Amino acid sequence: MLKAAWTKIKQVLIFLSIVVIGLVFLLPLVWIVMSSFKTRVQNFALPPLVIFKPTLDNYIGLFKLQNPAFMGDFRNSFIIAVISTAISLVLASLTAYGFSRYEVKGGGCLFGWILSLRFFPVVAMAIPMYVLFRMVGLLDTHVALILVYCIFNISFAIWFLKGFFDEIPPSLEEAARLDGYSPFEVFYKVCLPLVRPGIITAAIFCLIQSVNEFLIALSLTARVAETAPVALAKLQTAVGPDWGKMCAASTVLMLPVLIFTILVRNELIRGMSFGRLK
Amino acid sequence: MNEQAVASRSESGSEDVGTAATPDRGFVRLLLGPTLIFLIVMVIFPLFYSLGVSFTDYTLGGSARFIGFRNYAELVTGGDLWVVSLITLRFTVIAVAIEMVLGILIAFALNQRLPGVGIARVIVFLPMMLAPLIVGYFWRFLLDQTFGLVNWSLGLIGIEPVAWFVVPRNAMAAIVLVDVWQWTPFVVLLTLAALGTIPHELREAATLDRAPAWMKFRQIYWPYMKFPVVLAFLFRTIDCLKMFDLAYVLTGGGPGDFTTTLSLLVYRYSFLFFKIGKASAISWILVIVIIIIVNILLGVLMPAQKPEEEAVSTGL
Repeated sequence: MLKAAWTKIKQVLIFLSIVVIGLVFLLPLVWIVMSSFKTRVQNFALPPLVIFKPTLDNYIGLFKLQNPAFMGDFRNSFIIAVISTAISLVLASLTAYGFSRYEVKGGGCLFGWILSLRFFPVVAMAIPMYVLFRMVGLLDTHVALILVYCIFNISFAIWFLKGFFDEIPPSLEEAARLDGYSPFEVFYKVCLPLVRPGIITAAIFCLIQSVNEFLIALSLTARVAETAPVALAKLQTAVGPDWGKMCAASTVLMLPVLIFTILVRNELIRGMSFGRLK
Repeated sequence: MNEQAVASRSESGSEDVGTAATPDRGFVRLLLGPTLIFLIVMVIFPLFYSLGVSFTDYTLGGSARFIGFRNYAELVTGGDLWVVSLITLRFTVIAVAIEMVLGILIAFALNQRLPGVGIARVIVFLPMMLAPLIVGYFWRFLLDQTFGLVNWSLGLIGIEPVAWFVVPRNAMAAIVLVDVWQWTPFVVLLTLAALGTIPHELREAATLDRAPAWMKFRQIYWPYMKFPVVLAFLFRTIDCLKMFDLAYVLTGGGPGDFTTTLSLLVYRYSFLFFKIGKASAISWILVIVIIIIVNILLGVLMPAQKPEEEAVSTGL
């Protein structure tokens, strides 16, 4: 009797703490979105306004700006992220499969090296990349950012996908080979479809990682290939302490990522267990 | 129970895979070749370039002169590298410790079968998907001394407004706070994923078992959680050591240099002072520090086995 009551109390306490946790992580986001619909005066109101008449002025003002030009920068971010993700996934799925299935001389070392790229400080990369791209005349181009993002995306995707390929039973491939499939067909027609959840999750992570990247974009771009995060960093000097516009910019940048996250919430956990959780 | 769990893990590991290989050399070249060529061109050149240039007094636009170890000597004997390293290290230790403890606790809470857990999980995952730059950016608004939501909420429970970005201690606390808000979810995610891999029978046995909670944790949960948790720890440590975006946008390294991280220092030397040589030297010191710390961590956390083998045998 006492024990049942204790279990009940425990459940209620855990439930309450879950509510608190949810609020702590959600409230800041809600507040930013709300503030983006407030006027300048409303954003400086004390106590903070919860009920107010929303306005779209911040968004309209934001997209009218010429420097930073948000519209163009969004397009840049999008193009760079998509192309870099596509290239990375093609290369990484080939390589991850190779590492998973074949004994290569020095393969362990090579795999370790590719993983360690993830640990390499980005800032150490920024200087040589700046010099390199200046030399070949690719500074402030989409190509430069795509190439650099491919390094990080490939490293991540190989590491991520290898776990998924490892989970495929070898007997399946042997059977396919006996049916007369060539090694490439085994990879393309048998294994690749099986790791599709992994590839989708990896793609989402690569996309988000590329869209979010700031330091390399800040160092390698000026006007033409400037990405959205760089525009955001420039915004304060452009508009002064205008929190409405700044919250509007944050909201516009956050929204696609938030929607994506909500859509793939289940794949997220499954992906992080590397094919183990079915 | 413990041994069983471990055995079932290694069974599904990769030892039995890979033996399916028949020598198809051309095919293996096709699989690995393109990636390796790309990475070697894109990574090896910059690496050697920055190593080389760190031994010169190269300033952007000027000419480079070989000066041996002088950049390194100046940095080691000078003040700012040590101060900044210490700041970075202190930030890393505090932030990672809080994130690990909170992350594991939240993961256990979200692993319960209770109403609302599904929604709470999604909410918790949101911050880590956002750009650190955006997060730092809007937290500056939330932490505004007069008009910010945080100080206003603190006022409700009778706490005086905190001058977040004026007092050095508070500025550090602000960075830790925002980093914890954004990255505790990463620890939660990895832990939750690990908890999900525990077989149902084992979990049911755990609920029926009358053993003390701590014993249950050691015997049932920990074998499954160990590698993901270590992984999360490693990732968080390294990301904190090389942290740039948050310091750049939230405090700008200030007040004074009290929240300047190593990455921020490198950035300043290269893109504000254009001292490429010296900036490269600092970045190499950062690389070496990270390598040392990673190796210490791997040595302490995963004894007896080589890190690579470990990573492979867990399927990571």
